[in-house]
Amino acid sequence: MVSRYALLKKLAGVVADDTLVVACIGNTTAFWGQLKEREANLFHVTLGMCTPVAHGLALALPKRKVVALDADGNLLLNLGSLGTVANEAAKNLTIIVFDNGNYLGSHKKEPGMRTATGGKMNLAKVAEASGIDSACMVDDAEAFEQKVKAALGSNGPHVIVAKIAALDDDRPEKSRRIPDPRQNKYEFAKYIERTEGVAILGGGLGNFG
Amino acid sequence: MKEEKAKLIVQGMKEAGVDFAVGVPDAQFIEVYKMLERSESGIRYVGAANEAEAAGICMGAWAGGKKPALVIATSGLLVATYHIARINLLHEIPLLILIPYRGDLGDPRWLGMYQKTTEPALKAMDVPYRVVRRSEDVVRTIKECHESARAWLRSAAVLFTEEALW
Ligand SMILES: Cc1ncc(C[n+]2csc(CCOP(=O)(O)OP(=O)(O)O)c2C)c(N)n1
Ligand SMILES: [Mg+2]
Repeated sequence: MVSRYALLKKLAGVVADDTLVVACIGNTTAFWGQLKEREANLFHVTLGMCTPVAHGLALALPKRKVVALDADGNLLLNLGSLGTVANEAAKNLTIIVFDNGNYLGSHKKEPGMRTATGGKMNLAKVAEASGIDSACMVDDAEAFEQKVKAALGSNGPHVIVAKIAALDDDRPEKSRRIPDPRQNKYEFAKYIERTEGVAILGGGLGNFG
Repeated sequence: MKEEKAKLIVQGMKEAGVDFAVGVPDAQFIEVYKMLERSESGIRYVGAANEAEAAGICMGAWAGGKKPALVIATSGLLVATYHIARINLLHEIPLLILIPYRGDLGDPRWLGMYQKTTEPALKAMDVPYRVVRRSEDVVRTIKECHESARAWLRSAAVLFTEEALW
């Protein structure tokens, strides 16, 4: 089975610099953060929150492409968010779900615990039945790249469920420090302020004396 | 809840500069949700399936330059605690959280469990809050909490008792 890292490398090759990428916690954040130095990343978004955060961003900035890098266990915690995505119908939102059928599949040298998708559940069908017309499942790198390119070049919302190996046995060299949540917030907000002409970081005095 | 009291909440949000609201409705605030959903409020309302999801949508909207409010029930606060804790304590992102306060004076039902859970939960998540008991304090308190949250980059909550909403 294809690995998460192989797919993230494909994504790195096709995603535009100004596409906003929201990555869920775990190896998705860890690997994506190593792959590409880019300002348009939000990292460390926890279980049940990755798709909602990407959704909020997409609604706030309808002219920017937004990609959620979600995962099966993460998404399962807030499955109802797919119905919200369908109804709000943000054209600029693409949700990629790295589905290894596993919780913490990536954490240790052996797979963690099975998720519902490691059993009978099919998240692409759930997305479709939630009202997201553009929902598909892929299980190899070529199909993944093609679906991602198509999604980024057309109106969404899109859901791409990528079936990946339970264990991340290829992983990137750790070449840089991924910013912690606060540093990431400041850098991301400044980047959005600069590129969108909006005020985010507020009117504090900037003076702690 | 009287229509004019719901209007006060929405007026407070508007005067505070809130332009985006996310929530899951409850009986106490239903008129507020309905007003927010009508486009003339000028506030974009997104109805979520779960208050934790709603908190996430607010976080994303804030990062995209919106001024969001999370409008949830005391029950919903309990559902959203993990996400609010992450947002406030780890990311340090300012959510304005507006909650009709069940279980306080004026509530037609005895729902005292929320007296036991609401303020301790906010304290545990290090979210400063104000309890509004008089309708004349509604607008000012929403504005001040929002302004403080944005200046501090920390979340803040306003609890409205039934006394203030009568
Ligand atoms: C509410 C909550 N429950 C449990 C955890 C512990 N936890 C952290 S990562 C993770 C696995 C998530 O699974 P998945 O999204 O499939 O990611 P994978 O490990 O497969 O990359 C879990 C259960 C958590 N962070 N939050
Ligand atoms: Mg998984």
